[in-house]
Order: sequence, then C-alpha cells, then structure tokens
Amino acid sequence: MEFNTKKLPASVGKWGMILTAVGAIMAGAAFAVDSHRAMFGYLWMYMFLVSIGVGSLALVALEYLVGANWSTPFRRVSEFLSAIVVLLAVLVIPLFFGMHDLFHWTHADVVAADPILKGKEPYLNTPFFIARTGIMILIWIIFYLLFTKNSRKQDITKDPALTAQNVKYSAAFAILFILTISFAAIDWMMSLEPHWFSTMFGVYYFAGTLVAAISIAAYISVGLNEGGYFGFKVDYEKYYSFGTLMFAFNVFWTYIGFSQYMLIWYADIPEETFWIMNRMEGTWIYFSLGLIFIHFIIPFLILLPRSSKTNPNLVMFMAMWLIYAHAYDLYWIIMPTYFKDGFVFSWNELGFFILAFGIIALVFNYMASKFNIVPVGDPKLERGLHFHLN
Amino acid sequence: MIKKIQNFFKEFNSREDDEKRSGKIYAVTSLFDTPNEIMNASTEVADKGYKRFDTFTPYPVHGLDQAMGITNPLVGPIAFVGGILGCFLALLMIWWMSDANYPNIIGGKPFFALPAAIPITFEGTVLLTGIATVVGMLVLLNKLPKINNPLNDTEFMKHVSSDKFGIVIGANDKNFSETEVRDLFQSLGGHSIQNVYYRESNLTDKTPLFDSKFIMTLIAVAGLTALVSYFTLNYVLYEVVPFDWMRHQAKINSQSPSDFFPDKAGMRTPVEGTVARGFMPYEYKGLPDSAVRLLANPLPASKNILERGQDRYNIFCSPCHGYFGEGDGRMNDQFPKPPSLHNNKVLNWMDGNIYHVLTNGQNVMPSYESQISRDDRWAIVHYVRALQRSKNAKDQDLPK
Amino acid sequence: MSYDSTYTREIPLVEARSGFKEIDSVLTHPLDTKPTKGWWIAFAISFTALLIGALSLANTLYFGIGEWGNNQPVGWAFDIVNFVFWIGIGHAGTLISAILFLFRQRWRTGIARFAEAMTIFAVMTAGIFPIIHTGRPWLAGYLLPLPNQNGVWVNFASPLLWDVFAVSTYFTISFLFWGIGLVPDLAVLRDRTTNKIKKTIYSVASLGWNFSNRNWSNYERAYLILAGISTPLVLSVHSIVSFDFAVSVIPGWHTTIFPPYFVAGAIFSGFGMVSTVLIIVRKVFDLEHIVTINHLEKMNKILLATGMMVGYAYAMEFFIAWYSGNTFEQFVFINRAFGPYAWAYWIMVSCNVFFPQLFWFKKVRRSIPITMVLVILVNVGMWFERFVIVVTSLHRDFLPSSWAMYAPTITDFGLLLGSFGFFFTFLLLFLKALPLVSIAEIKAVVEGAQPSIHPHPHSSNGEHK
Repeated sequence: MEFNTKKLPASVGKWGMILTAVGAIMAGAAFAVDSHRAMFGYLWMYMFLVSIGVGSLALVALEYLVGANWSTPFRRVSEFLSAIVVLLAVLVIPLFFGMHDLFHWTHADVVAADPILKGKEPYLNTPFFIARTGIMILIWIIFYLLFTKNSRKQDITKDPALTAQNVKYSAAFAILFILTISFAAIDWMMSLEPHWFSTMFGVYYFAGTLVAAISIAAYISVGLNEGGYFGFKVDYEKYYSFGTLMFAFNVFWTYIGFSQYMLIWYADIPEETFWIMNRMEGTWIYFSLGLIFIHFIIPFLILLPRSSKTNPNLVMFMAMWLIYAHAYDLYWIIMPTYFKDGFVFSWNELGFFILAFGIIALVFNYMASKFNIVPVGDPKLERGLHFHLN
Repeated sequence: MIKKIQNFFKEFNSREDDEKRSGKIYAVTSLFDTPNEIMNASTEVADKGYKRFDTFTPYPVHGLDQAMGITNPLVGPIAFVGGILGCFLALLMIWWMSDANYPNIIGGKPFFALPAAIPITFEGTVLLTGIATVVGMLVLLNKLPKINNPLNDTEFMKHVSSDKFGIVIGANDKNFSETEVRDLFQSLGGHSIQNVYYRESNLTDKTPLFDSKFIMTLIAVAGLTALVSYFTLNYVLYEVVPFDWMRHQAKINSQSPSDFFPDKAGMRTPVEGTVARGFMPYEYKGLPDSAVRLLANPLPASKNILERGQDRYNIFCSPCHGYFGEGDGRMNDQFPKPPSLHNNKVLNWMDGNIYHVLTNGQNVMPSYESQISRDDRWAIVHYVRALQRSKNAKDQDLPK
Repeated sequence: MSYDSTYTREIPLVEARSGFKEIDSVLTHPLDTKPTKGWWIAFAISFTALLIGALSLANTLYFGIGEWGNNQPVGWAFDIVNFVFWIGIGHAGTLISAILFLFRQRWRTGIARFAEAMTIFAVMTAGIFPIIHTGRPWLAGYLLPLPNQNGVWVNFASPLLWDVFAVSTYFTISFLFWGIGLVPDLAVLRDRTTNKIKKTIYSVASLGWNFSNRNWSNYERAYLILAGISTPLVLSVHSIVSFDFAVSVIPGWHTTIFPPYFVAGAIFSGFGMVSTVLIIVRKVFDLEHIVTINHLEKMNKILLATGMMVGYAYAMEFFIAWYSGNTFEQFVFINRAFGPYAWAYWIMVSCNVFFPQLFWFKKVRRSIPITMVLVILVNVGMWFERFVIVVTSLHRDFLPSSWAMYAPTITDFGLLLGSFGFFFTFLLLFLKALPLVSIAEIKAVVEGAQPSIHPHPHSSNGEHK
C-alpha cells in the first residue's frame, strides 16, 4: 500500500520552539526568583511529561497486547510521543539536585527527630531513591527502544513475526509499567508528604496517565487525519473509539479518585485525612471542587452522547480539555505541599506548563520528520483502515 | 390430571394454529438465501419508496439499517431519561429519609453526606437506566409483547428465525400493489413469495389486557395472595419458632419458675457477702446515732453538689419534711408530721448524724439506703446544712 | 481479537464452517433430548449437596446463628466469606457479556450466555448469605427503605445498605441483560418445536419476537446501552462489597486499594469458575467447535492478567503497611503471613499468584487438563482470599486480651457445601432448559454471516443521496 503522507506543517516545529523558549525563560526566571517554589513547578512539569511519555508507551503495548486493529493506523502517534521517555532521563537530573527542596525526608535532622520517618528510612533515603529512579527510567527507555525498533523494522520487512515479538514484549511491559508507574507515583508525589500513605495512590496516578495519553493520542491523530497528513482518511467511526476510551479512562480515574477520597473521608483517621484536609483548606477547596467538575462532570456529560464521540472538532476539544484536566490533577497532587495556605498559580508555574507543551511539540515534530508517520509494514494496518464498528 | 393439562394445551394451540385466516391481506413475504442478497434487496425496496416494509434476519446483519434507511434514535434518549430520573430519585430519597424526615447522627457525619450517598445514587441511576432501556426498547419501540402478529406461525417466520433472510412489504403501504410487489421480489432473486393474511382475531381492536375476565382474575389472585400472606404471618406462624418474634427464648424471665434449680425458682439470691456496685455496706447499720459522730462529709460544698442535693432533697425528703425542712410536707395529712429540721437538736448534730438517719432511718422514717446513692445522701446533707443556715441567717451571712 | 501468525486474518470463532440450521440443531440438542446419564449423576451430586445445605439452613434458622463458629472477636466468618466469594464468581459473567462486548471481543459470543447464567445463579447464591446472617431472614424487608410502624428509615450511610442496593440492582440488570439476550433464542425455539406445551411456553416467553430488522436495530442499541451501564455496575458492586470492610478502621480492612483490588479478584475468581464449568460442559454437550480451545486460551490469559493484578494488590498492601509506620497495620500483615493462619495466607498467595504464572506458557494455556487443575486452584485460592481478609483481620485486633481463634462448625461447612449444590443445581437445570450459547449471536459471527458489501446511505425519502 502506498501512503502519500504529508510533512507536518512547519508551524508545529516553530510553535514548539517558541513554547520551549518562552517556557524555558520563564522557568529559568522562576528558579532565579524562588528556587524552592520553582522546584515544585519543575516536578509538576516532569510528572506531566512522565504521564504523556510513559502513558503513550503503555498505549502502544496495550494495542499489541489486546490485538486491537482500529488504532493501528494511529499507533505511530503514541510511539512518537513515547520518545519523551528518553528525555526523561535528562530532565530528571535537576530533580536530584532539588531533592532537598522537595522532600522533607531528605533532611537528616527532621528524620532523626521523627520516629515514623526514621522507620521509613530503609526506603526513603537518597541513594535508594536515585537508584529506583534510574532503574525505572531505564526500563522505560529499554522498552521504548524494543517496541519502536521492531515497529520501524517492520516498515521495511513487513514481517509479522516482529508483531509477535512486540506482543511478547508488551506482556512483560504491562507488568513493569504498572509497577514502575506506581512506584514513580509513590516516590515522586506521595513521599512529598512522607507521613501520608494510600495503597490506591499508584493506581490513581496510573489512571490519570491513561487519560492523558489517550487524550493526546486522540488530539494529534484526529488533527492529522482531518488535515490529511496520514495519506489516508478514515471515517468518523474511528473517532468513536477514541471518544469512548477517553470517556472510559476518565470514568475509571473518577472511580479510583472517589474510592480513595470516600474511604479516607469515611474512616476519618487523622494520619490519612491530613492530606485531604490540606487540599480542603483555604482557597484549595475551590481548586478541589474544580477538579471534580473539570476532570469528571463536564467531560462526562459532554462525551456521553454517541454523537459527540464521532464529531472530530468535539473529540479534539475534549482531548485537549482532558490533557489540561490531567495537568490540573497533578497540580492538585503536588502543589498543596508547597502552598499550604491556599492555592496559587502564577507565572512561576505557568512557565513550566508552557515548557512541557513545547517539549511535547518538539519531540513529536522531530520524530515525525524522521520516521514514517504510518506503520506501513504492520500486518494489522489493512484491517485497521477498513475497520467498522459492530 | 396431566392428560387434562396436556389436552388443554393441545386445544389452546390448535386454536392458535388453525385459526382461520381472514381474506384480508396483511403483507407479501419473500425469502432470500444470503446476506448480500438481502442487503441488495433491502436497498432496492427502500429505493422504490416503500415505507411499510421490514427485513427479517435470524441475527442482526450489519449495515442493514443503512440499506433500509432506518435509524434507532430513540433508545439512547429513553435510557438517558431513565438514568436522570434514577439519579434524582435516589438522591431525593436519601436526602428526604436521612435528613428531612428522620435525621439521625451516624458516625459523626452530616445527616446528608454526599460521599456516602453516591453509591446508592449510582445504583439507582443504573437500575432505572436499565429498566428504561429494556422496557423502552421492547414495549415502546418494538411494540412487544405481541403474540398475535399475523406473521407468527407462518412458514416465512420459521425460515427467518433459522437460516433464511426475508423481506415483508405491508399491505398498508401507500404504494402497495400485490402484483408489483411480487414482481419486485422476483426480480431481486427472492423465492417462496407468499401472501400473509390477517387472523380473524387481529381484525378486532380488542386488547386482551383490558378483558374484564382477565382483570377480575388478576384482582382475585392479588386478593387471595394478600389474605394468605396476612393470615400466615399473623396467625399461622405467630406461635411457631423461629417466626414468633423471639417471644420464646431459652432464658429465664424475672419472677418466673425454672426447672433447672432444685428449688424451682428462676430468680436466685446472691451469694452471701455479695456487694453490688456503688453500694458499699454501711458500717454503722442499726447502731445508735452516737456511734457515728465522727463520720465526716466526704464531698465539698460546691455549687453543683448543693444543686444535686437540692434536687434529691426535693424528690425524696420534701414530701414529708417540706421544701424548707420545716416539717410541713405535702404528705402531712397521711403521715405523722416530722419535726422541723431547724430545731436545736438537728442544728447541733454533726453531719454524720444526719447521714446516719438518712441511711439507717429513725422512728417512722425508713432507711433511704437503697433509693439514694451514697454520694447523693452526702449531697443532701450539704443541702440540709444550707437550708438550716438560710433559716437561721446571721448578719455576717448576708452578702456585702 | 486473535489472529493467525500473519496478523492479517482473524481466527474464526466457530471452527469448521457450520450452516445456520446445523447451529440451531446443535445448540437446541440438549433441550430436545432426555438428560443423559452423566447429567443425572451430576444432578444427583449437586442436589445432594443442596439438601445438605438445606438441612444446615434449617438448623441455622431454628436454633439461630449460634450454630455457626462465629464468635467475638471473629464476628464475620463463613457467612461473609461465602457471600463475597459468590458475588465475585458472578462478576465474570458480566465482564464477558458487557466489557468484552464493548471492547468488541467477539470471541465472547460462545461463552456469554452461559457466563451470564452463572452470574445470575451466583448472585442468587450470594444473596442467601447476608440475609441468613441477619439471624431472622424473614424480616429482611427491613433492609429496604419501606415505611414501617417504627417510623425510621434504613441507614443510608452504612455500606451494608449500599450492598442491598448494589446486589439487588446487579441481579436485576444481569437478569434483564440475560433476558433480552434470550428473547430471540426463545423465538427460535418457538419456531422449531413441535411439542404443544413447549410451544406455548416459548411463545409467551419470547414475547412474540419476530426477527424484524426494525426490532433488531433497537435491540442492538439497547444491548449496547445495557453493556455500557453493566460495566460500571460490575465495578461498583464489588467495590461496594469492599466498602463493607474498607470504611471501617480495622487494620487489614481499611485500605484504599480495596475497591479495584476486589473487582480484579472478583473477575479472576469468576473466570476461574466459568473455565471450570465450561471445560466440562463443552465436552459433555459436544460444543467443542463452538467453545473452542482458543476461547479457553483467552480466558487463561485473562486469568493470568487478573491474577497479576491481585498479586499487585497483595504486594502493595504489604508494602504500604510497612511504609505507613503504623504498628497495628504492620502487625496485621505479619500476622497474616506468619501467624496462626499463615497456611490460609499461603494457600491464597500460591493459588492466586504463583500457580497462574504457569499460564505464561502457551503449552499450559492450551492444555485442558492442566488448565482444569489451575482453575480449580484459582477457585480455592479466591475462597481463601476472602477467608484471610475476613478472619485474620478480626482474630487479632488492637487488644491482645481479646485475641481468639476461629473454628467453623459442621453447620458452616454444610452451608458452604449447600451453596455449591444450590448453584450447580440451577446451572444443570439451565443447561437442559435454555440454549447455553446464544443462537442469534453465534450465527452472526459464523464466517460468511455478514454481508461483504456495504450499503450506501439513504436520504430520508428513500432516495440516494
């Protein structure tokens, strides 16, 4: 099959550069003004990139694992985005230097005076933390390389055995993904409040990454398909699948979030409730209520009717909405540790937000210019292109 | 008996099967062999402008809706309305029952706590969505149940329920003409083209649901069920263990005999020397009051103790002694009048003497040991002292 | 979806091309014939178990629940363990019929009806336990928010009440789902049968279904919506069951991961039970080309996946118990793994996490005898999971002076056995009374059943666009 894929418009790269530059300058300024505060903004951006990068990698694995074919024509979008995991290895370095600002438990005097933190020391200590981080990022990079190498090789050889191999990798990655993403959540976000604990926390972050990853895949895929960049055009039925998955993952996130909140609220044990109380004090209560509307009620009602899941403009709009909603969710998790009294959002934080989108645009643009935007050698592609609902 | 039932069914069915078909034509039917043929045929029939036609397949064939030019726009909205209704009814129920009608504090939570209301609200939403979907689809949209459809029990139906595909064009279509329809089917490759006629019972408009016999039977069954349940629950099962509302239990009620003990008495006297909680034995029991001169009031004369003493005094002492201890109580006509508590004898008593009288009794006054607890007796002593002081106040007692 | 080795062609769901008539006769065969000897033996066994259960139940009702081994501090034991176990078994049916339907996993058609029936019978079995656990089950009407002479209402803040709503909704929706799936099949039976009595029953039960595409169109949409609402419903039901434990402050019960952990466990145990029964049924009723080895392999994969999820939850609970720094939390988990009930804990872990790892090997997944052994172990392991959660968390709580061991009585075992008898008796009757594979759905996935041409859309007046 021949695909007359169009090159991405130059504006993508241009905007990527502008966003990155503006974001970097603002982030730099934020560090210069208040490095402690900026460190939290940086962590927020980093976690957002982890969601997009690792979540996209998980979507790629998921497609192989369940044998879906409707998504095969769009798989490269997620593959390109998962290249972010390579960048994560570089971007993590400032975090190591900022650990003292971020994590209470890195202060030796605090730990010495606190029997609970003392008890956690075998896990929460700097060398082990860095080692865990390294291993997690290494796992992501290895699987990123494994998947994409086979996928690209298939463009030329069209060998179905490569798909079979990737299915095997996917099975292994599925387990490692859930483990790494859980421990990423525990290490980088839960341990910001080292006294607090919730067994659900890893699953909560995992649910959020899926929402972000499917939304960004939907946004880019629908946009490229509508613009004719793939060299083929599939009908709206495929957007239905995107819409449904966005809807489903979002409801799953809500389910996890509600369960976690409700159980802590109901049992009312002080060692758990303080984390929630922190998010209900001062102006944070409005932010928390906003989370319910932005991340659940509004997308739920909009995405519920079948017609909105096949409307390309609405799918793109809601995809972007949910990407923001995920950033909002991460802000809600990370920032109350720094802003104890009430919620603050200023240029200090905005810079990191812009930087994150700049990085995503640049990575995608780079990958799209270098590699095939359609997995032309994938044996499932043909079925994917002629996919019909029912 | 079984024969009889079988015969009944036989009769019932033969009536159904052999029911005379009236001469009035209902529709023309045709069968097709493959899914592709039925797709083409449906498209053609729709293109010819027929409205009252339908396609019959043993299973849902994809794309037939488009071929026939039909959509199913109503199922979703019906489900949605059911869901909204379920959600609001559940919330309303929880709020009204747990906040408005009978508020009850549970676990220190608000009367109407939203997080705790969400599970039931969710279930209510799902329940009514499901019921609305199924009832809406079957009854409102598909007009079922309908057992007397003229197509039922025809050869045509036997085929489309198994392995063939069929098209029916109704006689009530405005373009209907028997010969044209037959020709159309012929040209599309259909076979077994047949007319279906109305059953005679279909020609009347009577709905069996409103048949008076049917309604009477329903009422009779409902009434009988209610009566039987009422009598079973309230009379038949009333004395039957375990349905007897726990009236028969393997325990001894007070004042009732028991075969378990040799003396057949259910209530037992405590072992000698048993001391009930809060009832320390009184060591001067029965002794003259001179013995207790040195017993001191263990309670401070604080405000709340005095109030407690007043409260107890007014309940237990005032009927005879009067509210102010002057011996002018409300029982004066029935009982001998006690001496005033303000006479010199009592004024000069030690606290212990008053306590002793309360505990031990004196003359016609019985012991109050079992009615008034030890601390309360001492509180009364304080109160009596206060009464005495107020009745015999000196200048220095007046507030400055 | 599963493909052949080139990933271009789906493996057909029904092995060997079958005619529609042949499908009709294969699937209605068990209904048209007298029960075989094997069926009677199975029925005799399960009915005996049911009778034993009935005796134990009579004993419980007459003398009260003091006949059970529950006593302070272990106030919940076999009753709740069995309830959670059977509710969990039910979840596989809804998963197969709803979630796999939404994910367009067409292989579900071969097993959906059967699994849905299992859901209904499992929920019925489960429902017995909380009701008899109340002590006077004939007063169960007070569980519902009905006006009564006391003027009070039920406690809406109690997860036990949420259970009442969740389980009854779950039963109703599963029954509707199963019921509307049966309607077209009953119509097939109606048109096939020559027996007058059967014909009357089928005519009434099929509601006069007439295979019209205008009806199918609404029917399919309604089916999709039901699948859509059943999916969150199935999640909610076991989540609410988990709330029974998790809203408390008992270490080992109060942990936030309980809802998804219970759901994963429920699906896991349900698939275990579906596989166990299906392996026998496909052999006995000669359905090996409709419920193929591919079906079993897929179910084994789901068992592997859900088993890992359950393993994740075990590990996370353990880790967070240590991480929490809370002595009581830490003690409960140490006590589970190394205390007096360690045997139960390790049965649970090995049956649910270790043994299913064998499913990584394709040879194991496609071997029926090994699968049979492993799925039975899954059933055992999941029963013990609930036992571990309920009993070990209670028997040693905050106050060491009130620690005690729990020992079930013969009545407890009788009720457990009886629950299996109840479930299998219904299942065996179902197998002889209704088509155990959806006739209409299986026809729709036979090769060549769907047209190879696609229609062009009409405008509303029937003209071409």
